[in-house]
Amino acid sequence: MIELITANLIWILAIVIGGTLISQSVHFIPVGGAPAAMSQATGIGTGTVMLAAGAGIAGIIAAGTVMAVNQNLPLVIAAGAVGSMVMLAATMIVATWIYVYGVGVIPVSAKVKYDPITKYRQDLYVSQGTEGHGIPTVCFVSATIGAALGGLGGALVYYALMKVSTLPVTDLNLSAVVSTFTIGFFFINSVIPSYNIGGTIEGFHDPKFKKWPKAALASFIASIFCAIVAVVAVGSLGGGL
Amino acid sequence: MEPLISMGVLALIGAAATIAGASEDLESDVGSQSNANSQIQLAPQMGYIHRYYNKAIAGEPVSNGMMCTIGATGTLVLIKHFGMSPLFALVIGALIAAMVHGSYSVTAIMGREASQKRFKQPIYLDLIRSHTPVIMAFAFLTTFTVEIVSYLMVYALAHPFPFVLLSFLWGVVVGSVGSATGDVHLGSERQFQQTEFGSGLNASNSGNIVRKGESGLRNGIDNLWFCSKFGGPMTGVAFGMVVFLGIWILIVFDPARGLKEGWLSNILGFLIVVVLGIWNWHIEKEAREKFGPYKEDKTEEVSA
Repeated sequence: MIELITANLIWILAIVIGGTLISQSVHFIPVGGAPAAMSQATGIGTGTVMLAAGAGIAGIIAAGTVMAVNQNLPLVIAAGAVGSMVMLAATMIVATWIYVYGVGVIPVSAKVKYDPITKYRQDLYVSQGTEGHGIPTVCFVSATIGAALGGLGGALVYYALMKVSTLPVTDLNLSAVVSTFTIGFFFINSVIPSYNIGGTIEGFHDPKFKKWPKAALASFIASIFCAIVAVVAVGSLGGGL
Repeated sequence: MEPLISMGVLALIGAAATIAGASEDLESDVGSQSNANSQIQLAPQMGYIHRYYNKAIAGEPVSNGMMCTIGATGTLVLIKHFGMSPLFALVIGALIAAMVHGSYSVTAIMGREASQKRFKQPIYLDLIRSHTPVIMAFAFLTTFTVEIVSYLMVYALAHPFPFVLLSFLWGVVVGSVGSATGDVHLGSERQFQQTEFGSGLNASNSGNIVRKGESGLRNGIDNLWFCSKFGGPMTGVAFGMVVFLGIWILIVFDPARGLKEGWLSNILGFLIVVVLGIWNWHIEKEAREKFGPYKEDKTEEVSA
């Protein structure tokens, strides 16, 4: 077991970096939680973990497709990032249709007076008794950055764990175990920043975003332990231990 | 595989995903699962007794992930062990998942409403009898279509993930998409139709949901009727887009043909994201111009 860990130190490092990236990505995604679904807060109307995991999983599916046919590291992690970005962008554009055409509210942020990207005035467009609503441009951009980081991190974890095993990358058991571990990394590293976010965050312009170093450190430490367990488990497949 | 045949398979996958998204959202509307459920749960505590189905088995992604995994496992056992035709196995697998989901729904509403006895919220047995089959029907549709998406991806497009795992993954994604899009229509609009259109939900109105319907007292099936006109189909479009675009970029530029093709697929995906971002900005701009601000600009008045 010790040999397995020492032989794969570089991949353990890659997994830890991947886990920390996932933790960072969550701070960028405008999570509105239940209040956003009620047009009571800005952001996407679902919980932190579910949204980050949903986008990350779309990235893993894309990274898995590419990994089976082409093992170029930059290509695989870029495919993961793009897969996540496409998922979140498609979800956000449809959410905007519903907010604007179905609910009749204007996408607006309550955390800043002017949108840092479009320079539009925000405070006048926030309806009474709410903390903003919908997905304004700054949140959309922040979310795509977050999805890219999350997809990148997830694909990095997936790639590293695939390389730990001696089995071929097309092996069904291997891809099943590796993707299960990768999803586990997503859930762990989405829960840790949730304590920073406390239900809702609007993206990089939100004051809560400044708390990211704490979550990064916590995720870094958690990922080290998880990476060791994952490397031992995946490396032992097919008689590697 | 030939790109043309892959595109044909992808068209089928996209159609199945669109139905999956729509049925997933409508299933959560009937049973008021997910974020909109917080208001259904809150209403009796604020003194508003209602006749809505109150089930929140888990967050939508987890609940759908479980449903699709059960369905896919059943299907795989029937195909591999009993040698059944995939089409029948997919149907029976989805049926098993729907039955499991139905039993979870009943225990969820019984438990939730019983815990609200102190707020005088009754358990309406006729409501459970009329709504549970509808919830099961939509759960069946969602599971069946997600299984079709996964089955075609694994056996026709040669995706490296096992069938059951892929069903689980798409189940989580469909729940995530449905929770982020369609539920807004139920939570923001249908549950608060007594407030002015476009006013958002004032925090002081929390829990004050509409309880009287077009005819009689409003229930989950009335919400289904309303949301099936916009929220449901839009969720279908969202999940259809997620599945279709995600696979399409990898079929148009197949990474198996070389590194260049692989990078072109990533660039194409990035371009799609940019286009959607610009579209989002345009809708924001249009909404600001058409709807106008809610408040007057006091700083300008002072300076004038």
